[in-house]
Amino acid sequence: MNKTSGCEENKYEDSCEEIAFLSRKILDLNKQLIESEKAKSRFLSLVGNELNNPMTALLGMIPHLQPKGDEKLETIFSLVHEEALLLDFRIQNLVAAAEIENGDVSMTSALVDPKILVEEVIEALKYPMKTKSIQIRIDTSLEQKIVTDPQKLYLILKNIIANAIGYGTANGIVDVTIKERDSVVCITVKNQGRGPDVEYKPQVFTRFSPGPDGGHGLGLGLSIVRDLSERLGGSIDYVTDELSVTFMVKLPLETMLAESEACGSNEFLFESFDDAIEL
Amino acid sequence: MIQGCSTFIHVGQVHIDSAPSAISTVLGSCVAVCLYDVKLGIGGMNHYLLPFWNGNGLQSPKFGNIAIPKLIEAMMEQGSTHTTLEAKIFGGASMNIGISDSMMIGQKNIMVAKEILKEYKIAIAAEDVGGQNGRKIQFNLERGKVLLKYTSRSDDSDRG
Repeated sequence: MNKTSGCEENKYEDSCEEIAFLSRKILDLNKQLIESEKAKSRFLSLVGNELNNPMTALLGMIPHLQPKGDEKLETIFSLVHEEALLLDFRIQNLVAAAEIENGDVSMTSALVDPKILVEEVIEALKYPMKTKSIQIRIDTSLEQKIVTDPQKLYLILKNIIANAIGYGTANGIVDVTIKERDSVVCITVKNQGRGPDVEYKPQVFTRFSPGPDGGHGLGLGLSIVRDLSERLGGSIDYVTDELSVTFMVKLPLETMLAESEACGSNEFLFESFDDAIEL
Repeated sequence: MIQGCSTFIHVGQVHIDSAPSAISTVLGSCVAVCLYDVKLGIGGMNHYLLPFWNGNGLQSPKFGNIAIPKLIEAMMEQGSTHTTLEAKIFGGASMNIGISDSMMIGQKNIMVAKEILKEYKIAIAAEDVGGQNGRKIQFNLERGKVLLKYTSRSDDSDRG
């Protein structure tokens, strides 16, 4: 603590005491909240992995069943493939949410071209795009690759682009832009249509909150997006006007892999603890 | 000297390991609670940013009142009891004099650790909290000791 005059010291202690008192109250209230939400958390962590493994196997095998020449079979094939991709996406979200809540999210970093990730997302969402006849335009002015966690960024992009398709006007266009300004990479996804119908913005990012029209989906997507964006050192926000909704993900621009991570290790590399205090 | 490997944890992580490993992190106004079980030779650490989860978003362990019970329960699943566990708390510095200091995030983070540990009847064996300096800590699971170094104010930008 800095040396302060006696009076200031007293004032500081008083406010500390008050904060402590209020914080205790919040802690008590919060306990009830956590208790009531516990079942949901447990559900997440149990279900996620049970579903994930068979799904991965299914998705690996389905493409080999692609029929040739028979129109009816091809229609059935694409329906099956579409549903499998959708199910897989929901499971990915469940697993991500469970990992975040369990505190075992491991971060990796790699050199990533966000445009390629967007293209992969579009490929995975080709069926819903086709159903709603939505076109996606990508506009990128980012020239270099960035250092980030590719899987996390992929899931972030997939969630916001899937929302843009899901909530966007049919036969419309979804615009994805990737830009860099002042060392911040900004990825925006804009769809035509009404914005989320909420009183306060944070509600949109709350878990298990219903979607705009009573809602499809689990209401997990945007809460995951927010958490992962923050983990990547960035942020997520959105703006609406009468005709469109634009979600923006901002990420720090890093173009060099840190040495420790380049070695693929999690080692604690900064200087030694030679003259450290031991407690 | 650490024989095994040292795992670095970030905000929102909860990590449990056994000797001879070590767990390390860097703290600003964040707080890390270290739990050590002398009998089993296992220990765990969390690293949280804010004291309370407010019901919004995921129940992530970046909030103290999620991260601390999670760590305690994870240790108990490994066979610890409140009598075999001892806790050490670090961090909770007032990093920015001004706006964020008026929120007293650091102080609240420290408080929430003490309250929850008290509730679980886990003794606090050591602490180094508050002040204005960031801290680097390394929790050595061989002996349950924590090595601590203060970061200089201009030092790193990555601490939580």
